Amino acid sequence: MTTATQTDIPLTGRVGRIIEALGADVLAVEQCQARRGIARINPDRVVAVAQAMFALDGARLATATGLDVRDGIDVLYHWIVEPRPGGEGPTKAGVVVTLKALARRPDLSLDSIANVIPAANWIEREMHDLLGVNFRGHPDMRRLVLDDSWPEGVHPLRKSFDQVLDRPPLPPNQSPPDLTQGQEGQR
Amino acid sequence: MALKTWALRKSLWVYHVNTGACNNCDIEVLELLTPRYDIERFGMLLVGSPRHADVLAVTGVCTRQAMPRLQEVYMQTAKPCVVLAIGACANAQGIFTEAYHMGATVDETIRAVDRDAIIMYVPGCPPKPEAMIDATVKSMELLKTL
Amino acid sequence: MGSSIVIFLVAAAGTVALGLAFKWVDRKVTAMVQWRVGPPWYQPFVDIIKLSGKENIMPATARGTGFLLAPVIAVAATAVAAAILWNGLIRPGETFVGDLIVVVYLLMVPALMTMLGAAASGNPHAAIGAAREMKLLLSYELPMLLVILVAVAKTGWTLRLGQIITAQAQAPVVLSISGAIALVVAVVCMQAKLGLVPFDLAEAECEIMSGVYVEYSGPSLAMFLVARAMMLALLPLLLVIVFWGGLYTGVWWGYLSFVGKYVLLVALATLIRNTNPRLRIDQTLRLFWFALTPVAIVALIMALVGISRGISWL
Repeated sequence: MTTATQTDIPLTGRVGRIIEALGADVLAVEQCQARRGIARINPDRVVAVAQAMFALDGARLATATGLDVRDGIDVLYHWIVEPRPGGEGPTKAGVVVTLKALARRPDLSLDSIANVIPAANWIEREMHDLLGVNFRGHPDMRRLVLDDSWPEGVHPLRKSFDQVLDRPPLPPNQSPPDLTQGQEGQR
Repeated sequence: MALKTWALRKSLWVYHVNTGACNNCDIEVLELLTPRYDIERFGMLLVGSPRHADVLAVTGVCTRQAMPRLQEVYMQTAKPCVVLAIGACANAQGIFTEAYHMGATVDETIRAVDRDAIIMYVPGCPPKPEAMIDATVKSMELLKTL
Repeated sequence: MGSSIVIFLVAAAGTVALGLAFKWVDRKVTAMVQWRVGPPWYQPFVDIIKLSGKENIMPATARGTGFLLAPVIAVAATAVAAAILWNGLIRPGETFVGDLIVVVYLLMVPALMTMLGAAASGNPHAAIGAAREMKLLLSYELPMLLVILVAVAKTGWTLRLGQIITAQAQAPVVLSISGAIALVVAVVCMQAKLGLVPFDLAEAECEIMSGVYVEYSGPSLAMFLVARAMMLALLPLLLVIVFWGGLYTGVWWGYLSFVGKYVLLVALATLIRNTNPRLRIDQTLRLFWFALTPVAIVALIMALVGISRGISWL
C-alpha cells in the first residue's frame, strides 16, 4: 500500500475536483484520469465520506466490492457521478470514482454505511457472508447468499479457503415418504 | 397395463424445475412450446404444479440451497415420472464442479430419495430443442418397457 | 323407472364424450390461432386415461374427506344436470316444474366443489385460488340469473325447460332486443362459469401454480377435468335451450340448426379465450357488477315492458 501524498498525481478535471473535495479523508490517490478515479480513504471516516459523496449532484453508489489482500480486506466503494441536466452546463457523461477502505486483520471491521445509503444494505450482507467483513452498526446483518446449512464463520471467497478441500458437508437428504400406508402415500 | 403406458406416452405433462441455472436452458425449454417446435402436437403440456406432472425438466447445477427443494419436488411428483436432466450443468455440474456452493449433482440428489428414478441426460449448453424432443421420445420408448 | 336410469347414464356418458371432444376443438382452434399444429383428436381422452393411471397423492396437510369427495360430487352434479338438460331438449313434454332452477343450481356445484377441494388442500396457493373462485362466483351468478329471468319472462313465466322450448316454437327469445342483449350477457357469464380466459384467475397457471388444483393428482384431478369438460358441453346447451329455441324437430333443418348454434357458442368461447388477456379480480367484479348487471336489468325491464304492452320484438 503506497503512502504517497496527494500531490504525486495531479488532480485535474471533474474527478480531481471530487477527490479534492474529500479533503483530508483521502490517504492516497492511485488514479485520476478524465473519467475514472481511484483513491484510498481513511477507514475510520467511511460514513462521513459516503455522506459527502452522496451529497454531490447526480452521485450514486453503483456497488461495493471486497478484495482479500495481505493486510486485511479492501472494501471498494464505486461511485458514479452523473450530473443531471440543468446542473453545471449541458449534460455531461458520468465519471466513476472508486474509494478504497482497508479493514485490517484481525478485526476486519468497518463502519456500515447502510444507514446513510440504503442501497448498501444487501451489498454489506453479501460481503459479510462471503468475505467475513464485519460492518459495525448494520441494521440487519442476516445471511444473504449462502444457504441455510452453511456453517458460520466459514467465508468461501477468502484466499485461505480451498474451493474443494474446505467445502462444508452437504445438507441432509429429505426423507423418502413413508409408504407403509399402501397406495396413498403421505407426501 | 398396456393402456396405461400408452396413455402415459401420449400425454406427458412437463413441470420445469430450475435448480440454479443461468436460464439459457430454461429459454430453450420454453422454445419447445413455440410454433416452430410445438410439443403440444405430441400431447405434452407445461403444467403449473409438480403433482400434475409426468416429466420433471430439471435445469441448472444443483446448488446446496436447491438440493432439499429438488428432493421435495421429486417426492411430490405423482409417479410414474421421468426426470430430464437438461444441459451440461444438470448432467454433471460441468465447469462448476469445484465451486463452493455446489450440492450433489442432480442425479445423485434424486437417487438419494429414490434409487429407481428414471433419469434422462440431455447434454448440451444449452441443448437444442431437437435434442430435448429426442430425449422425450426416448423416454416414451423407455416407458413402454415399464 | 328403468328408462330414466338408461337416459341418465346415456346422457352422462354422452356429455363426457361430447365435452372432451369440445375440449379438443378448443385446443385445436387455439393452436391454429397461434400458428401451431395442435394435439390429435383423441388427446383429451388420453389425458383423462393417463391421469386415472397415476397415483392419487393426498398431501399430509389436506383434510381427507373434503379433498377426495369434492371431485366426485362435482362429476355427480354435472351428470345429473346433463340428464335433465338432454331430457328436456329431446323430450320437451317430460320435464317437471322447476327443473330450470334445479339445472342452474346443479351447474353451480362444480364451482363450489372446486372451492371446497381447494380449501381442503391445505396449501396457500390453493387458498388464494379458493378465495378468487369465491369472488368470481359472487360476481357472475347475478347477471346470469337476471338474464335467465329475461328468458323466463318472455316465454310466459314458466320454469319448465320443456315449456320454455315449446313457447319458442314461433320465435326464439334471441329474436328480440332484450333477448339478444340477454344472450350476449349470458355468453360472457358462460365464459366466467367455464373458467376460461379472461376470467380464469382461479386457476391461473403462471401466477399461482394452478391455484385451486395445485395439490390434486391422478384420478381426483381427472374427475375435476371431466367435470369441467362436461360444463363445456352443458353450458352452451343451456343457452341454446333457454335463448335459442332448443331443437326444432318439426322442420328438416332443425337438427342442423341446433348443431350449428351449439358449435357456434363453443367456438365463440374459444375465440374469446384466445384473443383476450386475463382480468384481475377487481376488474372482473367491476365488469360483472357495474357493467353487465345494469345491462341485464335494462334487458329485463325491456322484456317486462314488451310483455305488458304486447310488443314481441322488445
